[in-house]
Amino acid sequence: MQKRNTYTQIEDFLSDESFQSWILLKIDQDGWEEWTLESLQRAKLVEDARLLLLAMKVPESDLSTSDVQKALQNTWIKIEEKENEILFSKNAGTKFFKNYFLTGIAASLFFCLISIWYYKNYIPADNIVTYKELIAENSEGLVEQTNNSDNPQIITLSDGSSVLLQPNSKLSYPKIFTGNERKVYLSGEGFFEISKNPKKPFFVYANEIVTKVVGTSFRVKAYSDQPDVEVLVRTGKVKVKSNDLVANSNQEEVILLPNQALRFFRSDLKFNKITNITQDKELVQNVGNIEQLSFEFSDIPVSQIFETIEQAYLVKIDYPVNKLKDCHLTTSLSDQPLPEKLKIVCKSISAETNFEMNGNQIIITSEGCN
Amino acid sequence: MNISTLTPSLFDDNALWNKLKDGDEKSFSMLFERYYADLVRYGNSLSPFEEKVQDCIQDVFTDIWIYRNSLQNSVVVKAYLLASVRKRIARLHERDHIFRKTASTDSIAFLLEFSVDHELLDDADDDAKEKIVHLNKLLNDLPTRQKEALYLRYHQGLSVEQIAEMLDVNYQSASNLLHRGLMSLRKDWKGTFSLFLLLSASSF
Repeated sequence: MQKRNTYTQIEDFLSDESFQSWILLKIDQDGWEEWTLESLQRAKLVEDARLLLLAMKVPESDLSTSDVQKALQNTWIKIEEKENEILFSKNAGTKFFKNYFLTGIAASLFFCLISIWYYKNYIPADNIVTYKELIAENSEGLVEQTNNSDNPQIITLSDGSSVLLQPNSKLSYPKIFTGNERKVYLSGEGFFEISKNPKKPFFVYANEIVTKVVGTSFRVKAYSDQPDVEVLVRTGKVKVKSNDLVANSNQEEVILLPNQALRFFRSDLKFNKITNITQDKELVQNVGNIEQLSFEFSDIPVSQIFETIEQAYLVKIDYPVNKLKDCHLTTSLSDQPLPEKLKIVCKSISAETNFEMNGNQIIITSEGCN
Repeated sequence: MNISTLTPSLFDDNALWNKLKDGDEKSFSMLFERYYADLVRYGNSLSPFEEKVQDCIQDVFTDIWIYRNSLQNSVVVKAYLLASVRKRIARLHERDHIFRKTASTDSIAFLLEFSVDHELLDDADDDAKEKIVHLNKLLNDLPTRQKEALYLRYHQGLSVEQIAEMLDVNYQSASNLLHRGLMSLRKDWKGTFSLFLLLSASSF
C-alpha cells in the first residue's frame, strides 16, 4: 500500500482495487479513511475520485450459480458436438470447403456451367445417375457405411435384414426405417438378405436402377466406374426398373426369379435378362462364398453350422464350445438374413441360448442344448 | 465492481490456464465459473440480444478447449477472454449485416449506461449527490468508444495496452480515448476546480 503515496491523479485511484472496495463495498482494509485525512490536497483528490466512481456504477450480473452451471454444461455439449464435427470434416475432407465457402460456391457455379455445356455438347442424353445424386434425393438422416477393407463386411439393418458389403463399396441407409418403404442406396457390390415384410417393400437404389423386393436374397453389383449394373437373385422374387432420375427411361419393369440375373447397360439404358446364370462367365466368376454355401442342415453339429455362417458372412462367432459339443440341428436357413439365421439357431439349441452382434463379432451365450 | 479479483483465489488464472492447456477439465470449468457472469455482463453491453451473447461466450470457451494445444502460454486470461468475446460478438454483427457492408469491429457500439448507486449515496450530502448525478449524465453522454475504454479500464481492470489491443488501436489512441473521456467530463464539471487542475497536469 506504499504505492498510493505516489498517486497524483484521479485515474490512479479509480483503478486501485482496494480503493474501489472501500468506496463501493465499504470495506476499508488498508485504512483509506485515515490516509485520506493526512493531507487536504489528498482529501480533495480522493473526494473527486469517489464521486466519479459512484457515478460510474454498472449493473451487477443477475446470473445465479445454477445459471452459470447450466451454461457450463451447455458448453461441454457444444465442445462435444464440435469435436465430432471436426472429426467428421477431417474424414470427409470437407474442411477445405468450409473454410472457403464463398470461393467454393463460386467455383461450383463455374463448374456447373462447364458441366452443363459439356453435357449438352458431348453426352447424348442425361443418363448417368451417381450414388451422390441418389443420396441427395433422400437425405433424411442416412447412415453411410463404407467398406475400405479387403474383406466383405456385414451390415445389419434395423428391420433385421443383412447386407454383405464387398470391398470398395458403400451403402447408405436410414438408422431406422420409417414409413411404408425401406430404401437403401448402394455404390459397389452387396449381397442382400431381406427380412420378409410384405407391407413394407424393400428398395435398393443403385446407379440407374431400382430393385424392389419383399423378402428374399439377391446380389446387386453397381460400381460407378463400370459400364453395367448386375442383379442376381438367389431366393424369392425381385422387380427391377430404372430410376426416375434417368431421363428418357422407358419404365419397363423386369421380374427376376431365383437363379436369374439381369444386366443393365448404362450407356443405352437397356436391360438384359439372364435366365441361365451358369452360362454367363462373368456372373459365375463373381459368386461369393455366401452364394455357394448351402444353408440346408440336417443333423449337423452346431459347431459346423457356426463355421458355415462364419465363412459366409466373414464374421467371428464365439460360443461355449464344450457346452455345445454334442448339439446337432436340422434346419433350413437359406432364405434368412444373418440376424434371423442366428435367432433360429439359438432358439433351436435351447430357449436360454442368446446371441449378441457387435460389428463382425458375434457372441453366443448358452448352457447347452435340450 | 470486480469482486472476483478482490477475494484471493487458490489457483491463479495463469496456473489454471496452463493446466487447461494440458487438458485439465477441472481448470477449464474453474475459469469458466470465474469469468462467465462477468463476460455476460460485458457482452450484454455490446449487444441487446442476451441469448446470442451467452451463445457467443460459450463458443469462445468451446474454441479455447478445442484449440487448447495452440493457445499461447503467457496471456492475461481476463483480457484474452474479454477480447475474444468482443471479437465474437463483432463477427456476429458482421454476419447479420453482411449485405450492408458495415464490416469492421467498430460497427459494434457500447450500449451500457453507467448508473448511480443510490444506496451508497445515503450518507453523502446533497451537494455531493447533485454532483454525482450530474457526473453520471456527463459520463453517459460520452462517445461509446470512450465509455467502453473507461469501462474496461476501471471495471474490468485492464491496462491501457490491453485496451489498445482489444479496441484495435495503438497505445496512444487508447490512452487518448481514456484521457479524452475524463477530459470532456472536466470541461463540464464546473465547481470542481481541483479535478480540472489535476487532469490538465496529468499525462496518461
